This record gives sequence, C-alpha cells and structure tokens, in this order.
Amino acid sequence: MNNSTKYGKTPLLLRFFRWFCDPNIVEDIEGDLLERFEISAAKEGKSIARKRLNKDVIQLFRPGIIRSMTGTRKLNSLGMIKNNITVAKRQLLRSKMYSTIKIGGFAIGIAVCLLITLFIKEELDYNKHIPGYENIFMAVKEYHEEGEVEKYTWMAPPYAKTLLADYPEVEKAGRILFNEGFGAGTANIRKANDPTNYYDKGFAFADQSILEIFNYPMVYGDRNSALSEPNSIVLTRTKAEMIFPGQNPVGEIVYIDENSENPMTVGGVIEDLPENSTVKFDYLRSLAEVEFWQGEQTSWGSNNYQVFVTLKTETNPAEFQGKLDQLKSKYLLPTYQQLGFANSEGLVETIHFLMVSLADIHLNSADVVDPFQKSDIKVVMVFAIIAAFILCLACINFINLSTAKSANRAKEVGLRKTIGSSRGGLITQFLTESTLYSLLSFILALVLSYLLLPYFNELAQKSISLPWNELWFIPSLTVASVLIGVVAGLYPAFYLSGFKPSTVLKGELSIGSKSGRLRNTLVILQFTASVVLVIGTFVVYEQISYIMNRDIGFDKEQVLIIESPYLVGDDKIETFRAELNKLPQVNSTSFSGYLPVSGSTRNGNVWWLEGRTKSDTPADGQNWTVDHHYMETYAIELIEGRNFSKEIKSDSAAMVINESMAKALNIADDPIGKKITNTNDNSQTYKVIGVVKDFHFSPMTEAIEPLAMKLGTMYSTGSVKLATDQIQGAIDRIRGVWEEMAPNQPFVYAFLDQRFERMYAEVIRIEKILMAFSLLAILIACLGLFGLSVFLVEQRTREVSVRLVLGAKVGQIIRLLSFNFMKPILISILIAIPIAWYVMKDWINNFVYSDGLNVTVFVVASGATFLIALITISFQSLKAALSSPIKGLRNE
Amino acid sequence: MGKNHLGEFEEVVMLTVAILHGEAYGVAIIEEMESRLKRSVSIGSLQVVLKRLEEKGYLKSEMGEATSVRGGKRKRFFTVTNVGKDMLRTSKEQRMQLWNALPDVALEFAGLK
Repeated sequence: MNNSTKYGKTPLLLRFFRWFCDPNIVEDIEGDLLERFEISAAKEGKSIARKRLNKDVIQLFRPGIIRSMTGTRKLNSLGMIKNNITVAKRQLLRSKMYSTIKIGGFAIGIAVCLLITLFIKEELDYNKHIPGYENIFMAVKEYHEEGEVEKYTWMAPPYAKTLLADYPEVEKAGRILFNEGFGAGTANIRKANDPTNYYDKGFAFADQSILEIFNYPMVYGDRNSALSEPNSIVLTRTKAEMIFPGQNPVGEIVYIDENSENPMTVGGVIEDLPENSTVKFDYLRSLAEVEFWQGEQTSWGSNNYQVFVTLKTETNPAEFQGKLDQLKSKYLLPTYQQLGFANSEGLVETIHFLMVSLADIHLNSADVVDPFQKSDIKVVMVFAIIAAFILCLACINFINLSTAKSANRAKEVGLRKTIGSSRGGLITQFLTESTLYSLLSFILALVLSYLLLPYFNELAQKSISLPWNELWFIPSLTVASVLIGVVAGLYPAFYLSGFKPSTVLKGELSIGSKSGRLRNTLVILQFTASVVLVIGTFVVYEQISYIMNRDIGFDKEQVLIIESPYLVGDDKIETFRAELNKLPQVNSTSFSGYLPVSGSTRNGNVWWLEGRTKSDTPADGQNWTVDHHYMETYAIELIEGRNFSKEIKSDSAAMVINESMAKALNIADDPIGKKITNTNDNSQTYKVIGVVKDFHFSPMTEAIEPLAMKLGTMYSTGSVKLATDQIQGAIDRIRGVWEEMAPNQPFVYAFLDQRFERMYAEVIRIEKILMAFSLLAILIACLGLFGLSVFLVEQRTREVSVRLVLGAKVGQIIRLLSFNFMKPILISILIAIPIAWYVMKDWINNFVYSDGLNVTVFVVASGATFLIALITISFQSLKAALSSPIKGLRNE
Repeated sequence: MGKNHLGEFEEVVMLTVAILHGEAYGVAIIEEMESRLKRSVSIGSLQVVLKRLEEKGYLKSEMGEATSVRGGKRKRFFTVTNVGKDMLRTSKEQRMQLWNALPDVALEFAGLK
C-alpha cells in the first residue's frame, strides 16, 4: 500500500481522506483519485494535478462518504445516544434507592450552588447601576501608626471644596454626613400644618453635588438644584408617599424634630435607592450654608464628612491619587501647628490621602472604616468555597455509589465487550447515564432552590429572586449540569469500562475492591468537611451563649426604651417622668441618648488630668450626658464615691467615671476628687465624684472604652425600668400616659435586650449560615454513607445468614458490619480537629471577651458527627442482623 | 413520480454505466460523461450518487482484480440491475409520453418544429 514513491509523498489531504472515508468504499475511490491524478499529471503537470486531487478530496468530504461514528455498522450517533439513554433509564429505575440518593444529593448540591451563585452575582453588581460609576470615588484618609495602617473615610469640612478648587481632574465633589451627633440618623419629621410626627431613620446631610455625582433619578424636582437652597430636603419616593400621599411635595414645608424655627422646604423626590447601593439614606438635608459650630466649615481639624468625587473621564485615578498628598503641607500642617500638637510634622507624615472607587467599596474595602453596610470579598470567597465543597460532596456520593455498584455492572460490561463494544462506547454510555442523573437533579434543584430561596434570603440578608426571564439563566444552568454530570461520571466511567471481559465473565473479579481505597478516601474527605463545619457551628454557638450570659455590668432585662420623649415638650418632661413613675409597673425613668448598646449616641473625646494638657498621654473616651436616674435605671454598680445628687449644686461640674477611665488616667488608686477635662468642652474641668464598675456598652468584639458621665438634659431617648413581668400591661399603661401628654405623636418603643441582641445579629447570622451548611454537609455525607452501607450489607447477606444460623448474636453482626465504616470516620475526625482549631481560633480572636476555644466543644461536636454516622450505618446493619437467615440462604 | 423517482443526475449516471457496459468504474464514468456531455463531474458527487443508486437497488457493484496501476487499488465495477433497467425504461417512456402529448401549436410556439 505504500505508494508514496511513485506519486511523491502521500499528500496530507489523501491521508485525511483515508481517515474520514467509509472503510467499505475507501479502496476504489482512492484508486479513482490516484488514476485521475496520473492522467492529470501527464496532461497538465504535477502541481495542477495535486491541486485537482486536493479539490477532489474536499468534495468527497460529504455525508454519504464519511464513515459512521460507531464502527462499521450503520448506527448513526443519534441512535447510539438514544440507546444509551434507554439503558440509563432502565438502570435508574432498576435500583431506585441508589438513584434517589444520587439524584437527591446532586440536587441539593446544585441548588446550593445556584443560590450562592446568585448571591455572588448580586454582590459583584453592587453600585454598578449608577451611571458612570467607574469615575466615582470615595475619599479615604490613611494613618500609618506603629506599623499599623488604618483607613478612615471621615474628612474635614473643606476637603471637597479644596479638591474641586485645587485639582483640575475633579469634575464634581460633594459631601454627605451621617453623624448622629449632628442630627443625622433617626429623627421625627412632620408637615408644617399637621402636628403628627413620623419617627423614622435614614436622615443624612448632603451637598447638592451628591445628587449629581450619583445621578439619582428624580420623581419630582430638579436634580441640579433640589438641594442647593439652605434648609431644603430631598426624600425618596417611599417616604414622600408616606408623608405626602398622592401629591407632589416639592415646595412643601416640613419640620424635623419639632424644630419650627428652621422650616425645611422639600426640594425634590428621588426614586428609592436600589437594594445594592452602598450609599443609602431616605432623607437628605441640604448642607448649604450649614455650619455646625463656629469655624467648623473651614477647619481641617475636625473630620465628619464622607466625600465623593467624580473624576473627569480621561483622568488616571492612580496618578491623581498620587498628587493628593500635596494637600498635607498646604492645609493640614498649618492647622496642626495652630492647634499646638507636639509633633505636627511627624503627625502629618503618617497621613495619606487616597481614593477608593465606587466599584470597590462594597467588596474590596473591608479595611476602610466607614458608616456604610458593606460586605467583604472574603465572605464571598468563603461562600463560593462552601458551595464548591457541597457540590464536591454530592459528586463524591455519585462516584462512590457508582463504583460500589460496580459488581452489578461488571457482568454487563463484560458481555458488552464480548459482543464488540469498544471502551470508548462504554465510556460514552456511562457518561450519558451520569449526565441523565445530573439533568434530573438539575430540575429537582430548581424546585428546591425555589423553595429554599426565602430562607436563603433571610440568611444572607438579601432579596434575591430566581432570574427566570433572564436569557442566560436556563441555558447556562443546563450546560453547567451537563458538565457536572460529565465530571462526576468520569471516574466511574473509566473504572467500569476498564473491566476485562475474561475476568468478569469467569467470575474472578473481586467485587469493588480496587475502588475500595478510593471510596474510603472520599468518605474521609466528606466527613472531614462535615466535622469541620459542625465544630465551627458549635464554637460559634458557645461564643453566642457566652456573650448572652456574661455579666455585662448593667441590667438589660425589662428596660423599655422610648424614642423622642421631647415630643411631650421639653417643659413637660419632668411631669412625664413623674407620671410614669407613678405607675406601679415602673421602677425608674431616665432620659439620656447614651444607651449601653451600640447604635445609640456615641462621641469621642480626649481626656486629661487637670494641669497636664498637651504634655502627657491622654485617655480617649466617651463623654456622656446623663440624668440623676441613669445609674439606678440601668442598675450600674458604683464601686467608689457617690452618684449624682439633686441636693448638691456643685454636681453640675461633677463626673462619674468608669474603671477603665480611672485606669487610663492613672488615677485608679485614688480617683475621688481628681479634676479632669477634655479638649472639646470649653476647657471646663470636672471633679470626679464616683467610679462605676466597667459595663459593656459596645459589642464584645471591642474592649470597654474609658467613659465619663456628667449631668445634663438630653431628651432624645427615655429608658424605663419596669417593675413587673406583665410586660404588655406595662406597655399599655405607659402608652396611655404618652397619649395623654403627647397626643398624635408616634409612640415608638423597644426593649433594651432586643437592641442588645441586634448588636450580635452578625454573629447570630454566621451561626445560622454555618448551621445550615453543616446540616447540608452532614445530610449529603450521610446519604452517601447510607448508600454504601446498603451496598455492603447486600454484599454480605449470605455471610450474615450463615453466621446467624451458626448462632451469632445481633450485636456481633452489627459490629461486624459497621466496623469497616468507623475507621474512615474516626480518621476524618482526627483530620478535622486541627483544621477547625486553626480556622476558629482566628474567628474567636475577633472577640476581646471570650472563653477561648473550649476542648469540650470539639469533643462534643466530633462525637455528635460520629454518632450520626454510626446511626446511619447501623440502620442497615441492624436490618441485616434482624432479618431471617432463611431469606439470605434461600437461593443457595 | 412515486418514491422511485430518478433524479436527472442519477439518470445520466445510470445511462453512462449502461453505455460503458461492464467497464464502468469511477474514473471511466467521469470521463465518459465529460466527453459525451461536456459536463465536469467531481468524484465526490459521483460517488455519492453511485452509492445511493446502489442502495436503491438500481446498480450493483463488484470489485475487480488488483492491477499495478492506480497504486495497486482495485476498481469497483458498476452494472445496471434489472430493476435499474426497468427504471430507465419507465423514465424514458414517461418522457416520450410527454413529448408525444405536445400539440403541434405548442411545438411551434416553443420553436421546436
């Protein structure tokens, strides 16, 4: 057949022809080709002849001539697939339990993956709905201190203005202010001509340019001027509808916090902000001509504003950012020197100005401290990893059950091979089978995720829906599930198709033993993951109960918080207190906005011992305004000195401090009578009259801060200590007093312990997520284990029957059958413990106050997992041990 | 025009095979068609038609003796089967019937007379 000498080297296309041509007709056609080539070569020369030959071959590449895909018979590939599907269907129906386990596990895996993919997509899409988001940046200030880098977003009042004036790259710059101390946060709002207030949150101050930078779609009013007038306010659509139902409110007057001296004019209404926006608010008050204290607007020494800028399109952000440090010598240094800081140059050196892009704020700026609700790319990664893990667990079940069942398939494979099946054909068949499984699971997964979506949304605190009508959804899911089917089926396909017919048909194949080690490894993998998750759940649970049961230094039970007591009128507030205290259900009432839970008013002050200003290390701490009844209402323990007294006039310049403050000021030995002062308070000095025991007024992820309390009036929040368990009755009575004294005003109340729990909402959320995932992991792992144990028991039915006949006890049989499975599970516990230890140590270190990692938690968690696994296994073993041996031996 | 309908190219191929009378194999058929009909035919299209005709049972083929030319490849010789001959005859009769049915006016009109 070697004709390359006569016709030159066999042309590539001729070889191609031999490859694709139906073997039945290859010979004579090739002869024709060569004959034509010869004739043509003699007539027109070799090169033309070769071209003609190539042309002929290309024209031969057509359906009637190309060899069929499956050997020489005339089955086209479609027929083969049809046949494969039939076989797979039969297989699926024949062992229903295995199919259920495989499909169920797969469906759970795919559903979890699907939900998490939607979650990740939503996270990645944050802020991308804002037109031109690529050019919007948030200003950040970086402090380098003793090797640590801290990033803050609170900027000086003139920062935005200065950027716009000094840098031609800046197109727009604006400020937004969320600080509650300035009147942002929660407030009461009402129409000028209607005394009824709406108590609401989401108030912020902003420059007019903020509306332009974020390009908010307007419902009413003009985006380019809605906030430009002093005392104007912009509402979102929902809030406008709430206060001015069915009406265009532009030009209407509202009062905020009963402040009728400063009527606010509605300048515009914007559409509600999409869920996935970082910068969120419901009411924007104009910053035009606002100055919170004298000289505030020009001061580089105070930092309260979030600054956003739009850069011109052609600007390179990195280059622009590099120029920002010029501001330091121009503005910061003079200010610091003026304030008299000891080492102004050194201080300025530690500061850098940065810009973070809007696209990065949500996921990639976890290290930046700002007032926004953010997520972290790490969280997204953890979610993705867990999703992949759950899917892997499901695939492992598939692999394990397929290889375990190999005995049943071995004969089939042997027979098919004997009658001429190729290995490739068998592989295709097994892959068709696994793809069919995964497609079925995909349908089930869609149903599952539809059912699970509400719970998932609650867990992830999202409002995700299944995007049925988006074009990519169904096709990409189908492709994904086919891919998963192929991946999961690959190993079993190669394993099963590799049987030698001679061995199998002679019955010499030791059943499933070759794959036994792999199966054990995979079981170990599954249970390691499960045990790690279970331990994690237990550790988080332990920490939560530690937090909830720790002595926090005050009494959080039965304290009712009333919002905005000033609505009864400042002059009537003492009457209000007296009326409340008259109720038998009330022990004590205090008015102060500083509550011992996060989310209430806070401030930052620098405290000094008298006479040592600007020279010694000061104490950073809180400066709270409280009334005479504060300590009593919260049952805060006084450990030295005395509480404020109404009889002593000089108490207006007295302070009660906490232990941490005493320690920070180095006066813990003899604090009473010491004079202290802070930088903000007009240099007034206060005499320390008492020290209270440290109490937790911040979450336990933070150390207790130094705190000083002085007397004053502050009617933003009232705290009522109840004297009874009859909570509802008490609330009704208090509401009665309120309605009498503040008719038509909203009675907004909450319980302190609810607020306290909200402080740990994130931790509780983590616990729930971990719990859900570990339950899923265990469920899938046990499903697999269950399938394997059914198989193993089936394999040994005869042996068990013989043993029973010979008088073996039920316990012995169970031990015999279960022992094989215990080893891999014990091993996985041994592997899981150090992993869990490593991961959870990091997490628990977040908490300043914790018990640390508790060994018993590890023991209990592993024990629980082991027990669950054991129950799963023994279920089948028990069934076997209790079954009548006659059944097992009947066919012998 | 039942399912036994012959395509034009199929008919031409069958006729050529019949003309070659026992000497009909790929290249020979092509050359015969090229020289008689001045029509260039590719091996690909010919082979497909031959195969199809064979499936329909109008042609049968057998491999010839190995020769030293053509790179030692054997030729596949085609002959028209009896069914094929019937088909050709039917086909011709149908044409003749149509021709005979043409009235003189129409022939004149078409410039065929």
